[in-house]
Amino acid sequence: MQLWGRVVAHADGGQVAIEHVVEVMISAAGVDAAAVAVVLDASPRETIYASDQVASHVEELTLTLGEGPSVDAFADGPELVADLMDADCLTRWPVFAPAATRAGVRAVFALPLRIGAIRLGVLDLYRDQPGGLDQEQLSDVLVLADTVGALLLDEAERDRLRPDGLWPEHAGAQHPVVHQATGMVIVQLGVTAAVALIRLRAHAYVHDRRLRDVAADVVARRLRFDPEDSPRLL
Amino acid sequence: MNVSEMAPVQLADVFVEMADTLVDDFDVIDFLHVLAERCVQLLGVSAAGLLLTDQQGALQVVAASSERTRLLELFQLQTDQGPCVDCFRTGQPVSVTDLPSAGRWPRFTAAAADVGFAAVHALPMRLRKEVIGALNLFDTNPGALDADKIRIGQAVADVATIGLLQQRAIHRRDLVTEQLQTALNSRVLIEQAKGVLAERLHVDVAEAFTILRGGARSHNRRLSDLAQAIVDGTEQFLPPTASRPR
Repeated sequence: MQLWGRVVAHADGGQVAIEHVVEVMISAAGVDAAAVAVVLDASPRETIYASDQVASHVEELTLTLGEGPSVDAFADGPELVADLMDADCLTRWPVFAPAATRAGVRAVFALPLRIGAIRLGVLDLYRDQPGGLDQEQLSDVLVLADTVGALLLDEAERDRLRPDGLWPEHAGAQHPVVHQATGMVIVQLGVTAAVALIRLRAHAYVHDRRLRDVAADVVARRLRFDPEDSPRLL
Repeated sequence: MNVSEMAPVQLADVFVEMADTLVDDFDVIDFLHVLAERCVQLLGVSAAGLLLTDQQGALQVVAASSERTRLLELFQLQTDQGPCVDCFRTGQPVSVTDLPSAGRWPRFTAAAADVGFAAVHALPMRLRKEVIGALNLFDTNPGALDADKIRIGQAVADVATIGLLQQRAIHRRDLVTEQLQTALNSRVLIEQAKGVLAERLHVDVAEAFTILRGGARSHNRRLSDLAQAIVDGTEQFLPPTASRPR
């Protein structure tokens, strides 16, 4: 896939990391800057990547003010804001909107990194000029945001996962059986949804199987994850 | 009995039910499920499902008249081929009155035959010039849907579109994307909750959905809110009949 080829090129022979995906995203979306903030349980959001000073500053504003598209995106879903100076935006984010504008940002596209109940964080794209994303930019951005989510999940198993050159299995738009299996593994292992999905992905990877096939085994109760030891076939 | 004799009363009832539902903060996923179920009743088809674009060019099932696993898989097969894909791409209804003899979409046709379906219809969910998904109807008997039924089906598809997008005034395409992404994520959330309940209550995932939905209704909670609480573990959710110590 062409997008992935660009990501791998950015990684320059090394392991693909979030910054490589985000760099491709910035050019595909025609924006100036981007940042990834991770929000874990009750802890405050933490910016794990910012492409430049502006992105870093606006992330700081979001954290300090506790408002803005990124905050709403984490709670409710994507916020595609073509112009922060719109009256609507000034009403919704009375402190953030003018402050971000002063920092040189006019358009913000905030995408939650989530898979159903699993909320990993938010990916924010920033541009100094107002204007939306076209259909192609939007679809590139959504697929790459999904990849960022997959990389975040796989970081937990980084040593075993993802040698170079492979597109990580999608995190979001997936076969329903993957999400059903996630739910079952939550109960089998007594873990969070994120950990359950990580375990499923790791199992698929280690056994060189498709995630959906492993998931189908779990849902059909042919495969069970046991907290005491590794998954066993029934 | 043909449609003109039987359907008007029922149809009016369905639209009143829908209008009642479309208040602030309604449960969009439950609403779409009800629509899928009413489609089956109104049109006399065997199954109905609603598929939405994930904006990456693929269709994802968001609600169905039944949560039978094989039915869901049939909808899901249409991420890349099938009548819904054609309907979505062209914005035009697609009707196949006899799947095997049509000789289109080999994988989809085989899967539909496995479930026992002979005829399939897809109606576009349109918002002005944009197509955001499709209403998919299946019938075990081959044959066409008459013009009245097609009209009713299209009206239901339009209501689904309105319901999906009405939570905010939709005047920009960006907002449509935001709404679609949110609806699709709710569906993922519900699948996860189905898994939790299936494992905890020792039922299959289709039954888990029935329990989840019953729970949401009897406690007057939104399906997606209850699903989130179940997946997060903040809600144990043991229905009385299935209660047992953990």
